[in-house]
Amino acid sequence: NMNSFFLSLLVGLLFSKDYVKPTEIDRKKWKGEGTTPNLESIVIGRCYEYIRLVNPNVGEKNCTEIWEAFKNAFINKDPCNILPSDYELFINLSVHTIPPNKALFWENNHLLVTSYSDKSRRYMPLCDTLIASFGDFLNWCGQANDTGFDYDSCPMTEECENNAVESFWRIASITYAKQSSGVIYVMLNGSAIGGAYPVKGFFADYELPNLQKDRISRIEIWVMDDIGGPDLDSCGKGSVQILEERLKTMGYDITCIDNYKSVLLLKCLDYPYHSDCSIFSSAPSTQRRLVSSERGNSWSRLIYTIFVAFVFEICFNP
Amino acid sequence: VRNPEFGTIANVHIPCLGFLTRQRIVLLVGIMVLIVTIVVVLAAVLAHGRKESSVQLLEWKGRGTTKNLQEVILGRCYNYITTVNPELRDKDCQKIWETMKNAFVYKNPCNITTEDYQPLLDLASHPVPCNKSLFWSKTNDLVHRYTKANHNLFTLEDTLLGYMTDGVSWCGSPSRPGINYESCPKWSECESNPSTVYWKMASKMFAEAACGVVQVMLNGSVDDAFRSSSIFGSVEIFNLDPDKVSAVQIWLMHNIGGPHRESCVGHSITKLTSILEERNLSVSCEDNYRPVQLLQCTSDPDHADCRLCTSNVQ
Repeated sequence: NMNSFFLSLLVGLLFSKDYVKPTEIDRKKWKGEGTTPNLESIVIGRCYEYIRLVNPNVGEKNCTEIWEAFKNAFINKDPCNILPSDYELFINLSVHTIPPNKALFWENNHLLVTSYSDKSRRYMPLCDTLIASFGDFLNWCGQANDTGFDYDSCPMTEECENNAVESFWRIASITYAKQSSGVIYVMLNGSAIGGAYPVKGFFADYELPNLQKDRISRIEIWVMDDIGGPDLDSCGKGSVQILEERLKTMGYDITCIDNYKSVLLLKCLDYPYHSDCSIFSSAPSTQRRLVSSERGNSWSRLIYTIFVAFVFEICFNP
Repeated sequence: VRNPEFGTIANVHIPCLGFLTRQRIVLLVGIMVLIVTIVVVLAAVLAHGRKESSVQLLEWKGRGTTKNLQEVILGRCYNYITTVNPELRDKDCQKIWETMKNAFVYKNPCNITTEDYQPLLDLASHPVPCNKSLFWSKTNDLVHRYTKANHNLFTLEDTLLGYMTDGVSWCGSPSRPGINYESCPKWSECESNPSTVYWKMASKMFAEAACGVVQVMLNGSVDDAFRSSSIFGSVEIFNLDPDKVSAVQIWLMHNIGGPHRESCVGHSITKLTSILEERNLSVSCEDNYRPVQLLQCTSDPDHADCRLCTSNVQ
């Protein structure tokens, strides 16, 4: 009858709850990506590459020793309790001087800085030092009571500040600032939301306070806007002004340039025909000359000639 | 009765001398002579061998093998498959290094063959997307600055094979330790050296794999922008597949401020064009391709050739 039907249904439901367990979501310990696979091989390879090919001026280093010191900073420890000072031995083994006038600090334009520095040939930002070759674009963390890396997940800074990666970059930034001398360059992003100079950031908190004033002649700031992007901040305005004031108070001699031309030209690589990127030149070698073996090309050649004439007209009559 | 264990020499009793009969003395002397001969021969062979190996090691005119070659190659391989091109994450870098090592270690560095490198090329090659192959000749610096700034195109040195070995030198030696860190043969000393054979094979493979529109960056500020003796002129253009490659775009770059030795209608470009057309490839040429010129201007922004049209830039 109905009652027993409903009763059996109820019993069935109760039992089914036991059998249908909530899907055991593979709960990762942390929110961040795990340790980069093959970390040791990558890092030791980068270390030798740096001392043999990129910057042999740093002299002879024992890359295996440096790797061990790096590892011991965070292995077999609570991954939320790694301090910058844990990397002290690693830093001592891998630190080297930055040639004067080559230091380049930055905020919000990592890739641009990497391209512009040209692997330490033009400038030597932090990412072109031996220290940074241990960490650039890599991720790592350990675990308490375990001598292995955690390849599954690693804590992000929002979960706990004193994690292996965050502490690494803090001590790396501090060290980099201490090794800089001569003219110091700072590249900021004038289109960044929140301001070109983040008042709380690596540059403001760890690099600026550790500059060695007696070894610095002056500081030059470049505020680069995105091509076709908004000009939210520039020299003498907004957060850049805050930075300029702070530096002046500290007693530094500063200059500031909006859209420093050399860097602007590099940014133009991705937007070669944008109006901000037109090169004006009367030299014949820069005329585009299309020599094509395809037949029936006269139409496109006509269009092209008109276009070139148009561009030149604009350049001659701004 | 003479005691056999005691012999007499000049009427003095010497123990055991009786043991030494004439035959036995001869035998002992013979054994000693044999031992001495063996020792002398061994010494001579070792000394000669060492002399030979030390002579062989210092023999060549080129740069020796890069120190820590193994760590550098392995590190670059892992770096490439992990951060540069993660699609290749299943490649076995350890095995790749082993096949590279076997190609040249303990071998005469003037006798390397394509068979030596085939296993390495088989393991480490990977396809390049169509319309993305960028060849080059006499523009090493500029072309690689370009591909690093604009991650759209690939030169051979942006593929795994080229990435691992760019700027690195290596060669073997028949004697221990099998790798010559002192010097390596230059092309002028012998053509079949580990480096030349490697780069020729890798270039051939790179050209064979190219599809769609391919680009080539040449140098218009040197004599002969196109040379038949270059790897581009002798290997790559002859291995482009006309069934896969739809067109060849030449970018003829001049140094900022010149000199202008060559142009798109110049002698060597005309030669290149005719070779390519003969192979049924359509060709176009452009003097100073704009994006690359912008990159050149980065190093010389105040040059007259690099003035910007707009006035709102400092």
